[in-house]
Amino acid sequence: MSKILAITGAGAMSECMRQINPDVVPAFPITPSTQVIEDFSQFVADGKVDTEMITVESEHSAMSACIGAAAAGGRVMTATSSAGMALMWEMLHIAASMRQPVVMTLINRALSAPINIHADHSDSMGARDAGWIQLYAENNQEAYDNLIMAPKIAENMDVRLPVMVCMDGFIISHCVQTMQLEDDDKVKAFIGEFESTYPVLDTENPATWGALDLQDYYMEHKRAQHMAMKNAKDVIEKVSADFADIFGRKYELFESYRLDDAERVIIAINSVCGEIKEVIDERRENGDKVGLLKIRSFRPFPYKEIAQALAGVKVVTVLDRSESMGAYGPLFVEIRTALFDAPEKPMVYNRIFGLGGRELFMSDIHDIFEENKTYLETGKVEKMFDYLKVRGG
Amino acid sequence: MKEKYKLKDWQDLPIGGVVAEGGNSADYETGTWRTSRPIWMEENCINCLNCWVFCPEDAFILKDGTTKTGKPRKEIESINYYHCKGCGLCAKECPVNKKGKKIAIDYIKEEH
Ligand code: SF4
Ligand code: SF4
Repeated sequence: MSKILAITGAGAMSECMRQINPDVVPAFPITPSTQVIEDFSQFVADGKVDTEMITVESEHSAMSACIGAAAAGGRVMTATSSAGMALMWEMLHIAASMRQPVVMTLINRALSAPINIHADHSDSMGARDAGWIQLYAENNQEAYDNLIMAPKIAENMDVRLPVMVCMDGFIISHCVQTMQLEDDDKVKAFIGEFESTYPVLDTENPATWGALDLQDYYMEHKRAQHMAMKNAKDVIEKVSADFADIFGRKYELFESYRLDDAERVIIAINSVCGEIKEVIDERRENGDKVGLLKIRSFRPFPYKEIAQALAGVKVVTVLDRSESMGAYGPLFVEIRTALFDAPEKPMVYNRIFGLGGRELFMSDIHDIFEENKTYLETGKVEKMFDYLKVRGG
Repeated sequence: MKEKYKLKDWQDLPIGGVVAEGGNSADYETGTWRTSRPIWMEENCINCLNCWVFCPEDAFILKDGTTKTGKPRKEIESINYYHCKGCGLCAKECPVNKKGKKIAIDYIKEEH
């Protein structure tokens, strides 16, 4: 039976994994993703799933085992965070290039040094070029829903790419929120049976995965991978539409919140969007035409669709919760690219916030809207790039 | 080049670089990698098969033969240059070569 329950974001992910009942889960625990694997291993111990759980000696091994198990012909899931994913680095690329539909929960956390266990997006943004589909979530309901959809997106024959389902560490992973937990059978029916491609355990039809590619073929394989990622855009939309039909919650590649007549818009990712919506509602009461564009799919990135959604907007503030030292934030770079061909370009500028879990309060978001109001009035972006809430300016 | 190995467009590749059939390395011409070439000298060969054991490309072709006393054994027939990549291991591991009096596998620069 579907039910409303109070659960942490991490707990919601392990419940979802229980419902999916993957063939193999290789994992190595790391804060703040530990609870996902901790709860799931309890399900394994209690016989609530048939999953082969492999407790490995590192995250590099965890992702290696994921790839091996997927190539063997199984549905495979895992979870990690921050430095854990950094240690998977080599294997992330291999999972994507070998087109293995591994599904991973990534609880976003800052990278060291100094050591910090709290939320920012430096882990997933650093992995943006690894060839994984990246879906982001504002709260645990969205993260749970994304995880239900992830295998269907990953395993689609026009895609066959790994999917990273991201949420903010602690803010979402460790905070209890109420959400709708769907019926086990309905989730299983939605996802369907796993279909393998050239599984190595099929000894009647021997296949070799991960062989050498020289100058004569490497580029063609990369080109095919690019196509798969492009296909993923339509597949994400299709799977989301099917999901809405069955479960009633609608998702697109990004969420447009009160964008229709908005003059000033914030673009952001993950949990901060909850506060931004509250602030927008408050300001809208006073007739302030502000809105939010919340990214759900960062890879593939919906350039055209975003440009269309921003038509008529005058000022865009892009919030990045990670940095590319010596460059603009990763989200800002994409947004500016998306807007370059727009007939009427809005002013676009970049703010870095929330690194290592630093809070952005509703008053801070009001300040952002005050600042971009000034920009709209003067017609000039005073500061293209700046930090929010850093001492010393 | 065999039709099968004509370079394909990206749309025609099996997914993720999978090699979707078994045993097809036999069709792959590693011979094009060769910058040096082993020459087998039948007259000096004692048919110990060291070269066959060490060859990483399985390039030594064997035939049935007999020892002086008439016992059946395998003997070297030739080198398959479609697969021989010219690494020189065979010439290094040949005991006749090692002794230094005669050469059973000569190892020379490939002429292009
Ligand atoms: S040179 Fe190398 S590849 Fe060629 S026959 Fe000798 S051992 Fe085999
Ligand atoms: S290693 Fe030398 S002696 Fe032995 S079989 Fe080969 S060529 Fe003949």
